[in-house]
Amino acid sequence: MSLWVDRFRPKTLDDLHYHHDLSTRLKALAASEDFPHMLFYGPSGAGKKTRINCTLRQLFGSGVEKLKIDQRVFVSPSRRKLEINLVQSSYHIEITPSEAGSYDRVVVQDLLKEIAQTQQVDLGAKHRFKVVVINEADLLSRDAQAALRRTMEKYMSNLRLILCANSTSRLIAPIRSRCLLVRVAAPTTQEMQVVMEHVAKKMKFDIPPEASLQIAEDAAGNMRKALLVFEALKMQSPDLSGPLHIAKPDWETYCHKVADLIVQEQSPARVMEVRAKFYELLSHCIPPTVILKTVAEKVVQKVDEALKADIMHWAAFYELRMRLGSKKIYHLEAWVVKVMCLYKHFTYNFDMSEFD
Amino acid sequence: MSTNKTASSSWAAAKAAKSAGPKAPGSKPVPEPKTHDCLLGLSFVFTGELSSFSRQEAVDLAKRFGGRVTLQPSSKTSYVVLGEDAGPSKLAAIKKHGLQTLSEDSFLELIGTRVGPSGTHAKGAGLDEKFRKKMEREEEAIRSAAREMEKREVKEMKEAHGGQLAVSKISDMSTHLWTTRYAPKTLKEICGNKGQVEKLRQWLQDWPSSLKSNFKKPGKNAMNVYRAVLITGPPGIGKTTSAHLCAKAEGYTPIEMNASDTRSKKLVEDGMNIHNISLDGWIAGQQKTNALGVTITNRTCLIMDEVDGMSAGDRGGVGALNALIRKTRIPIICIANDGGAQKLRPLTSTTCKLPFRKPDASAVRSRMLSIAYKEKMKIPTNVIDQLIEGAQSDIRQVLNMMSTWRLSNDTMTFDEGKDLAKMNEKYTILTPFDVTSKMLGPYLFSRTSRETLNDKMELYFHDHAFVPLFIQENYLKTQPAGTRDLAGSPKMLKHLRLMDKAASSISDSDLVDVFIRGPEQHWSFMPLHAVCSTVRPASFVYGSGMGYGGPNGMSFPQWLGQNSKQNKLGRQLSDIQARMRLKVSGDKVEIRQSYVPALFPHLVKPLVTDGSDAVDDVIERMDEYYLTKEDWDTIVELGVGENKDDVLKKIPATTKTAFTRRYNAGEHPIAFHKAVDLGKVPKKISGGPVPDLEEAFDLDDEPELADVSDEETKKPSEDQDIGGDKLIVSKSKKATRGKGKGKR
Repeated sequence: MSLWVDRFRPKTLDDLHYHHDLSTRLKALAASEDFPHMLFYGPSGAGKKTRINCTLRQLFGSGVEKLKIDQRVFVSPSRRKLEINLVQSSYHIEITPSEAGSYDRVVVQDLLKEIAQTQQVDLGAKHRFKVVVINEADLLSRDAQAALRRTMEKYMSNLRLILCANSTSRLIAPIRSRCLLVRVAAPTTQEMQVVMEHVAKKMKFDIPPEASLQIAEDAAGNMRKALLVFEALKMQSPDLSGPLHIAKPDWETYCHKVADLIVQEQSPARVMEVRAKFYELLSHCIPPTVILKTVAEKVVQKVDEALKADIMHWAAFYELRMRLGSKKIYHLEAWVVKVMCLYKHFTYNFDMSEFD
Repeated sequence: MSTNKTASSSWAAAKAAKSAGPKAPGSKPVPEPKTHDCLLGLSFVFTGELSSFSRQEAVDLAKRFGGRVTLQPSSKTSYVVLGEDAGPSKLAAIKKHGLQTLSEDSFLELIGTRVGPSGTHAKGAGLDEKFRKKMEREEEAIRSAAREMEKREVKEMKEAHGGQLAVSKISDMSTHLWTTRYAPKTLKEICGNKGQVEKLRQWLQDWPSSLKSNFKKPGKNAMNVYRAVLITGPPGIGKTTSAHLCAKAEGYTPIEMNASDTRSKKLVEDGMNIHNISLDGWIAGQQKTNALGVTITNRTCLIMDEVDGMSAGDRGGVGALNALIRKTRIPIICIANDGGAQKLRPLTSTTCKLPFRKPDASAVRSRMLSIAYKEKMKIPTNVIDQLIEGAQSDIRQVLNMMSTWRLSNDTMTFDEGKDLAKMNEKYTILTPFDVTSKMLGPYLFSRTSRETLNDKMELYFHDHAFVPLFIQENYLKTQPAGTRDLAGSPKMLKHLRLMDKAASSISDSDLVDVFIRGPEQHWSFMPLHAVCSTVRPASFVYGSGMGYGGPNGMSFPQWLGQNSKQNKLGRQLSDIQARMRLKVSGDKVEIRQSYVPALFPHLVKPLVTDGSDAVDDVIERMDEYYLTKEDWDTIVELGVGENKDDVLKKIPATTKTAFTRRYNAGEHPIAFHKAVDLGKVPKKISGGPVPDLEEAFDLDDEPELADVSDEETKKPSEDQDIGGDKLIVSKSKKATRGKGKGKR
């Protein structure tokens, strides 16, 4: 059996539990003849992909659910093999250009051209165009984005693009202006509770409201996380009553340990210990931004009020540097040393003016 | 007891003063000496910190005027120059030997007033009797050695030209390089490494008897169990010469092969007479070796020169050489510069290592002086020493420097010598380990250090890819000099502040690095990167406390290993994501952050708690998400903290085998086949990533133009691709289908 989060994923726009306005709008768009390029954006776990899939179904019918994965291989000039996975049905195709690394422009151009140059084969199809879904669009390099803008106009007769991104800040303005922006906001606590109750009903048991409230608050707007936690909790204590202990994912507990280490002692040896822990997290595919955010939030909880603003300021400062730079560990470590320095100076009541 | 205490405290004070450096560098002028060799025959010991010269400068000053400088005072020391906070042991030695002491001022005065031997009419006046005699003896020895050389040259000439030497001699002299002309002709003339040369000779002498005993008897030097020796050492110290001379002395005919000969596997195997069956054929086939004028004996000896230069063209050469050594019936002498080279690994067990060291100046000096005398050059002893030191005891280079100098001049002053040595300075590449210990060590940034910013940046360029990584790895391991005179909490706070500055500078360096190695390739930023990544961080945290071993030992950068691990796991994670994609909407990051922890209790925990009973459930769950056994391994590997991959150890071995067997026995849904497995032909990407420049977007028309031309150029190649594609795909499809059926 798959996990609940996948089993009870809504299939049509009518099944969706929240953002009803958005669902009606999407339905109207799908019915009209001029379906635009779209850009779905919002935090992860808000339901962007679910909405995209529902929209596709609305457009083409249940045929879009027959998916297959096709792998393409490209060889870069430096003889490196790039494997690109295409998830496709007869009506749409889904690509993740970030798999191609710095060659994303060439790969995206090549694939789009190929798709755009062939007409819809299925005569019974509801629409003449095919849809290309581009995942992780905010990770597209600048020149790949620049290459997209022309394509979007040129092949409009055969092709519609649906971009999916966490934030629009890294997309260039010309792309944003060519798309219909669709913001999928994180669900509120109440909305998440509704979804959980729906799942519980399907599974034929009752969920106490305080349990669903606690889960929803812990998930902080991430529906996927809420449902995964919900299922894990149900496995642990089948009646979901009494005080719930929500197990954190492994990496989060690990990050919290790092935060403890920082607050407990401030010394070079400790920095090196923290460095080893950071390496462990990074090498196990936890994104550096997530690490910094989780650790910083935990550190802030533990320090004096006067330090909180500074610590967050420096976290933001080094987070930007991490995005610009290539060796993330340098910036993580610089932040740790900065925090330790601030903390130590604060405990000894030292003047900190030189850090501003 | 109290004396002990004062001694230790004065030692601490002395250390602090040493790091403080001269109080007013360059404040005292050096007086004009009466003669350039005014300190000749005197030996000095410097102790304590002078107020206007750094130690190195003071030592240079003494040497410049002919003085000798030793490190420890003894009865032979003429003067001890005392600075502030002199070392207590040295003071004790002064008392014990009753030595004369000088202050900094009186040392300068001595330079200004003393008259050296060249200033007086009577030769050697002003020197004590013993020293004069010694000097005379030395001079006599030099002269006789020079005469010896002269005689030999004349004799050789005679032999070569059958008596008519008068004219041809001169022309012949100038045709040879000094390095050949003055190469040692007997074992006695070799400078330095006497012990090693003697060992080599002994080994060669014992070789025939060792062969008879089948290399079982170790002999005096425990060398007779080896069929070959490997001489290692820096260039120009007479390795090849020693090998030739030893062979000659023991009556072997040396056959030399060096880097100018091809020494590939085949040639080494075929070209050498490994079994030594027919010596005559061997010699007859190698006419050239006879041209050296070596008397042909029935004993040959193979000298493989520059074995660490066996590369590229000499594929398999070292291996073949090693095979040759194992069964050779003639002695083989291998010569290399770097004995620790990876390439020479195979030779370690089969050869006896004979490391040659750089001879010190005193071992080379007299021979150089003889040559200078014979060439009628006037070079004082201290200048020769300077040259030898500058060339790092490379005798060949000293000779070359002298012969070049001879073309224009026949005298050389101290300063000229220093410049010449500086000009011919060998550029040695330091390892990142050396660079790091130098950068973070206590001296490079101390106040007495004379290194400029440029010199410090130069260290970065010894290995610009590795040095920053090493600095980042090790910058926290020092006891910063900046915190030395503090204690307690102020020290700790200062330490943290310095660390902070260093860390933020390293963070800056990464931003610079992106400009250099990113799409823009601004290699001109490298000096900036040098400062940000290496010089500036080191300038904050330099200090003692970092060496090899010990609690704070220098370590190799973890970044390299961790980075490749990250890439590997990242690749495996995207494989998982691709498979799960049919069921799951999340991207790679979401899979790791939400699904891996969520699947852990379903995929791994049951195996730990329920053992083999859980296997079927686990496999069912895996099939649901199209996960393979490899993906299961990856999910385990991706865990951190309590989910770390050591949970594997908690799964009983029987469960593991049951799991593997059950999985392999069943059939499983497959999300997709890898393109490579299907035999798809990879498509070539024409253009690489272009520079990521803002301006590129302002030009509206250009992308379109590029698009059109792209299409045109691509079309023919695409057609070809498709043609090739069809053929190959149809073939391989059959093949894979066949296989699939076979499995079922």
